[in-house]
Amino acid sequence: MDIDIIELSERKARFVLSGVSASFANALRRSTLAEVPVLAIDDVNIYDNTSVLFDEQLALRLGLIPLKANAKNYNYPEECSCGGLGCASCQVSLTLSAEGPKIVHAGDMVSTDPDVRPADSSIPIVELKEKHKVVVEAVARLGTGRKHSKWQAGVAGGYKNMPILIIGDCDTCGKCVEVCPRKILKLEGNRVKVTEIIECSLCKLCEKTCDMNAIKVSDDPESFVMTFETSGNITASELAIEAAGSIKKRAGQLVEILETLG
Amino acid sequence: MVYKCTRCKRAVEIDYQYSGIRCPYCGHRILVKERPVLVKRVKAE
Amino acid sequence: MIPVRCFSCGNVISSVWDEYKKRIQTEDPGKVLDDLGVERYCCRRMLLTHVELVDLLAPYQ
Repeated sequence: MDIDIIELSERKARFVLSGVSASFANALRRSTLAEVPVLAIDDVNIYDNTSVLFDEQLALRLGLIPLKANAKNYNYPEECSCGGLGCASCQVSLTLSAEGPKIVHAGDMVSTDPDVRPADSSIPIVELKEKHKVVVEAVARLGTGRKHSKWQAGVAGGYKNMPILIIGDCDTCGKCVEVCPRKILKLEGNRVKVTEIIECSLCKLCEKTCDMNAIKVSDDPESFVMTFETSGNITASELAIEAAGSIKKRAGQLVEILETLG
Repeated sequence: MVYKCTRCKRAVEIDYQYSGIRCPYCGHRILVKERPVLVKRVKAE
Repeated sequence: MIPVRCFSCGNVISSVWDEYKKRIQTEDPGKVLDDLGVERYCCRRMLLTHVELVDLLAPYQ
């Protein structure tokens, strides 16, 4: 297995993963979506709400706000020593109280744990008009995307096979250069050159337009261009590590089960 | 049970025997139930 | 209110709403979205096609 990073920022990662099967690449993708634990608001205690949104809408909006926190400091409520009753090591409380007229943003929430805060403070929660009032206490818990998409750590994760473009006998007619939707082919002197092979969408338009059958588009079945993003609750590199760790952990559990079976 | 008249905004007790659903102060027939003063627990999903 | 996340991919799009709303007064919405880093068409339609109903509902509260 080999990893070649193309792009890595706080919220986005793009890399070439080679020497693995398609099922492993897919396992990694699924793991980023469903298995990485993050904090999200789970329960909302509404003391007062005279805004235009009704209580359930307000609660849903709060739940979808990504919370930036060190998830390792928290336990799953069902695995916590308190037995799911709720204690400082399995839940965080965030309070929000505001009176109109103003637009309430995610940054207006006050957390009991200074390490837990909304990833984007500019998310509008509700617009309050004159005399509107919102007083809520939100309880955030740890969870995974398997349970609800608000706990989904990775968004828009995907992969494609590494494209391979072979250019043979060419009369430099330039038709393929024109037809390529990703503009990755370039005419250089008396030959066609591929500039950004990773950008190729494997559409095979160049192959079809070539009168000489000089271009061959194929893909490497054991090499993948993987992309995923996070909504800010963890960094992209943490997400990749956590997702791979989760696969490893579950594979270990499978081995244990198989051993007990004999 | 206390309701609120949507026209005169006064708190209204409904008298079922006498007039049915009607505000005794202004005669308006639309009454709304006010939000109860207890904490409501909602699941964020 | 603008939905917090994109319905299709789950990316948070509402964080750029205030800036988007302000900038489309003078600029081209497509260019603003490019500039704000809203790449995918699923996320772009969330902002482009949003209709704010708060002002319409507020008098009936």
